[in-house]
Amino acid sequence: MEAVEYFEVECPEAAGREYYRKIADVVLLDHNLLRVIRKLHIFIDPKVPIFVATGVTRKLPGIVRVRDFADVNVKDTNVTISIGDEAYLAPLLRILWDKFGKERVNQPDRFTIVLSVGEGEGDIADLPVYDPSESIYKDLIYVLQVIQPEGFKVRRQYYGGNRFYLVASEDTLPDDIEDLVRQKFALMGVEG
Amino acid sequence: MTHVPVTYKGGIYRHDEIIDLIEDLGGYIIQKHVIAQEIVLQALVPREDIELIRRIGKPLTGEVTPSPLVGTEIAVVTPSLEIHHLPHASCDVAEYIRRFGAKTNMVGLARGFGKRIAQLNDEERDVINEHDLAVYLLGDFETCIERKFPVLRRGIDVPIVLCGGPSTEALRRIIDPPVEGYVGGIGRFMHRTKESEEIGKLEEVVGEITRVLDQRREDLARDPLSISPARLMDIIAENVEEIHEVLSPTPITVQMQGLRVKLPYDTFAPVIRKLVIDEGTTIGDLATVSPSRMRDYILLRIKPFSETNIVL
Repeated sequence: MEAVEYFEVECPEAAGREYYRKIADVVLLDHNLLRVIRKLHIFIDPKVPIFVATGVTRKLPGIVRVRDFADVNVKDTNVTISIGDEAYLAPLLRILWDKFGKERVNQPDRFTIVLSVGEGEGDIADLPVYDPSESIYKDLIYVLQVIQPEGFKVRRQYYGGNRFYLVASEDTLPDDIEDLVRQKFALMGVEG
Repeated sequence: MTHVPVTYKGGIYRHDEIIDLIEDLGGYIIQKHVIAQEIVLQALVPREDIELIRRIGKPLTGEVTPSPLVGTEIAVVTPSLEIHHLPHASCDVAEYIRRFGAKTNMVGLARGFGKRIAQLNDEERDVINEHDLAVYLLGDFETCIERKFPVLRRGIDVPIVLCGGPSTEALRRIIDPPVEGYVGGIGRFMHRTKESEEIGKLEEVVGEITRVLDQRREDLARDPLSISPARLMDIIAENVEEIHEVLSPTPITVQMQGLRVKLPYDTFAPVIRKLVIDEGTTIGDLATVSPSRMRDYILLRIKPFSETNIVL
């Protein structure tokens, strides 16, 4: 957990606190999310019962565009895309098929795509292909669900603007839950 | 002749000689595993013949080790089979107990999670009660264990060993009425047990189970069973051909007080009841043959001497 600037588990039971510290550490490590998180505060009160996890992410990598992983050559109405990183090939093909239709998208070999484009459609290089933050936030929320005690089926979650939180309980969440979340953010020195 | 549970590990070459030897000495093979070039036998053998088996097994690179849990069937009960409890906490414990010869079954409760909402249904209760002992693996919080354990133990009449995150003393303090065994410091965790400290905890669980089962064996010895479960297993294996076509690792599972026979109840219960053991005594005389709540298996419970006035 050295990579995380702030990491606290708050719980009235000392033994439980230590176990959950370890659980959170292991789960985040397993899912490769330690480097994404800057601050994390977990609050568990088994008496209520309630689980609150609040956190702040690091600056996430930006949107991946075509020019980030491929070379684009435009020649009249033909555009040749040479793929450098195959990881983004599948989402790119899907986008091109949607945009131009399958009959205008040719893939003569694994790393080449040839497009026939119309007038004013040649600006392929700036096409956004993949937004990493979307899946990272989804992963984060999933990981918090794994960390939380099991059986807490009533949940509220939020992410966006570098912040995320997840509140869970087995009972109906109290009305003032937003205040509690704000308090926990304040503990990390983040404005609610 | 008192039988002791042991595990024999050795090469596959000439292992049938060891099997014959154990059978000739009056012992019973409970389970036989063939793993590539190696064979693992779990057996009950006469105490005074262990040295003999060791001596004969030596040139075949055989090793005889005591395994206190051979001939027992243990239920490992977890509040659920979700990612919160699997694979590490429950599988590591179940697997470790297995190394000492026990047949373990994992029981994941359908609605065992949560504090207030935890439940145990009648099928789960009956299945757990068919075992010799139940190991409960609960979570990390005292408050939750205190609140939910009374629900999870309702109607369970087999000995219970309770494992949880809080210390053993804390568990002892919060559980009322007391259960037979406690192991603290082994609650919910999300990593594999690899460090020596964690393996030590698993040892502790096995130690506690052995202690509880030894106690139970002593209780049983006061009113001995009419026939030993292992001998009954041999009789069924000899006389019911179909059992050899069952693909389970243990077609007949030996328990401390009976057997689980993995054949359909409706077809085979009458056959088994009528099997003659000795001079007109049938299995039906010495044991109750009832349907198991596990699939459509048959459960045999051997009656004690006080009920039948026969010991074979």
